[in-house]
Amino acid sequence: MVEVNEISKSFGDVTAVSRVSFRVAGGEVFGLLGPNGAGKTTTLRILATLIKANSGSATVAGFDIDRDPQRVRHAIGVVNGGMGLYDRLTGREVLTYFGGLYGMNQQQMDERINQLDELLSLGDALTRQTGDFSTGMKQKIVIARAVLHDPPVIFFDEATSGLDVMARRAVLDLVSEFARQGKAVVYSTHVMSEVEELCDRIAIVYQGAIVAQDTLPNLLESTGAQSLERAFFDVVKRSGLATELVS
Amino acid sequence: MRPGIIRRIAAKEILSTLRDRRAIISNLVLPLVLLPVIMMGMPLLLGGLFNREAASQTDLAVENLAAMPAQLVQLLDRANVSPFEAGDVIAAVRDDEAQVGLVLPEDFEALLSEGEAAAVQVVSKMGSLSAELNASKVQGAIDGYRQQIVGERLAAVGLDPSVLNPIIIQPVDASTDAERSSGQLSWIIPFFIAIWALAGGQMTAVDATAGEKERGTLESLLVSPVSRAEVVVGKFFATTLFSIIAAAMAIVGYVVGSMIMSNVVGSRIGGDGAEIVALMGGSLQVTPQSIVLLLVSALLLAGTISSLLLAISMFARSFKEAQTYVAPLSFLLVIPAVALQFKDLLDLGTWIYAVPLVNALMVMDDLVRGSIDFANLLVTWLSLLATIAVFLGLAFLNFRKENVLFRT
Repeated sequence: MVEVNEISKSFGDVTAVSRVSFRVAGGEVFGLLGPNGAGKTTTLRILATLIKANSGSATVAGFDIDRDPQRVRHAIGVVNGGMGLYDRLTGREVLTYFGGLYGMNQQQMDERINQLDELLSLGDALTRQTGDFSTGMKQKIVIARAVLHDPPVIFFDEATSGLDVMARRAVLDLVSEFARQGKAVVYSTHVMSEVEELCDRIAIVYQGAIVAQDTLPNLLESTGAQSLERAFFDVVKRSGLATELVS
Repeated sequence: MRPGIIRRIAAKEILSTLRDRRAIISNLVLPLVLLPVIMMGMPLLLGGLFNREAASQTDLAVENLAAMPAQLVQLLDRANVSPFEAGDVIAAVRDDEAQVGLVLPEDFEALLSEGEAAAVQVVSKMGSLSAELNASKVQGAIDGYRQQIVGERLAAVGLDPSVLNPIIIQPVDASTDAERSSGQLSWIIPFFIAIWALAGGQMTAVDATAGEKERGTLESLLVSPVSRAEVVVGKFFATTLFSIIAAAMAIVGYVVGSMIMSNVVGSRIGGDGAEIVALMGGSLQVTPQSIVLLLVSALLLAGTISSLLLAISMFARSFKEAQTYVAPLSFLLVIPAVALQFKDLLDLGTWIYAVPLVNALMVMDDLVRGSIDFANLLVTWLSLLATIAVFLGLAFLNFRKENVLFRT
């Protein structure tokens, strides 16, 4: 579903992403774990065709991100913590607007919105203007918007940032649900517990590079660590990139 | 580019703007109400002031009142001026004991009876409109008395008073009906169109660019399968729509104001007030053909302003920052619009019709005055279309630049 080969991206003298490669299959949740500024968001923006990589290549759902960006965008859903909504539109109007942009007709949209209403418990969020929503309710509409067109690939980028415990739980359950539906999910976060709970495989990202990627048990075994946090520090330290880290 | 996608993007921007009640009131409803109020207020206020001052009693402080001839006293009385003796006329006017002062020489009557010239001083607070109106009443009475004396002196030597006017100048107005009726303040029509087109376009353009960035909705839009060109054109149509609606509201407000002024206000305030009505274009006569050409020109001006607004406000990280960027644009429109009133004196060549924005103001002024040259109109329209294409190209480039899109 997602194949990334040696992609790199620099902004001036700053290297944001350095020769990143990974693969994600359908039904799999792949975690990008790293601190803020590690290059996770830039990687996902490249895959979402928002920005261009300086080198390397990638395909999403079989479409090349450079040669076929429009089809790539049709095949993905993107949820990030900073995404907002149009304050003066109702939840249904937001979804209908994006459904139209994805080429859905009114009947398709109505059916899909009903499905998502059941899955996400949207309730009166569909009829109220989104400017009045709580953060959790906004994030539900953001997720509904991202998966409205039923994409085979979904990118989550710090999707639980700023959410209360109930809303966060709902998002994590949805990620698992989407994987069960056979979608390829790339889940980017700095929160270890979320990766531990959700991800089939984990890539540890530090200073733009993937310093390790494997399943959680294999990462623990290869580092001899008892927890993902300990394993994360060991892997980063071993990579030689983190001179400022203390043991 | 897919028209259906462009229509959806434009429709969403239109719906979003329509629900912004404060912006709609200040940019669309306000010109409709404000312009008639301003237009009626000016003549009513000034006309009322002139009439009131003419009818009211004016106190005249006079030095050497005893030297004032009875005929002059009568003329002053007819002009509602009440003279009284004052020792220091300048002090009396300065201290507001009298609106006007008059210093007569002690031998005023004697000088006149001997056929000599007598100098008098009329004292008032210059710079005050009310004081000048009162002073003009006094000067009018003195002038009337002067003409009487001149007539008497000429008659005494057997001459007719017309001997002093061997040449009689008769001004003839050669302007067209439209030019005559548009008034000297006709330039305010393009001025209002430009200003409100900017205000109307600004609310949508800023919200659709910097507002999208600030809310975090731009990324959602750009990861959907739409091209950047479709996004730019969709937002351009919505922005232009509100820009032209705001300009149309200003025109409607002006026309309504003109009608009320001509039919209701003008007849009530008489003389000077009616002159002000005419000066402000209160009897405006624009042909249906001119209205159509005016609307097309206004539409192209709105399109130019909208494309420029989109190109500029896309740079901004927030709504507030975008407003800072677009604020100076009003100078681009206000300065040439105000300069239109001096265009006869400026002797501009036809090249001015190739200068974007200025040319739109020029042709709209020409259309209102009924003196349009169709070659200039064509040059203007082509110039504006080319400018729209350039600005839309810049906006499109900004929508593709990573450092502009993700500048937070």
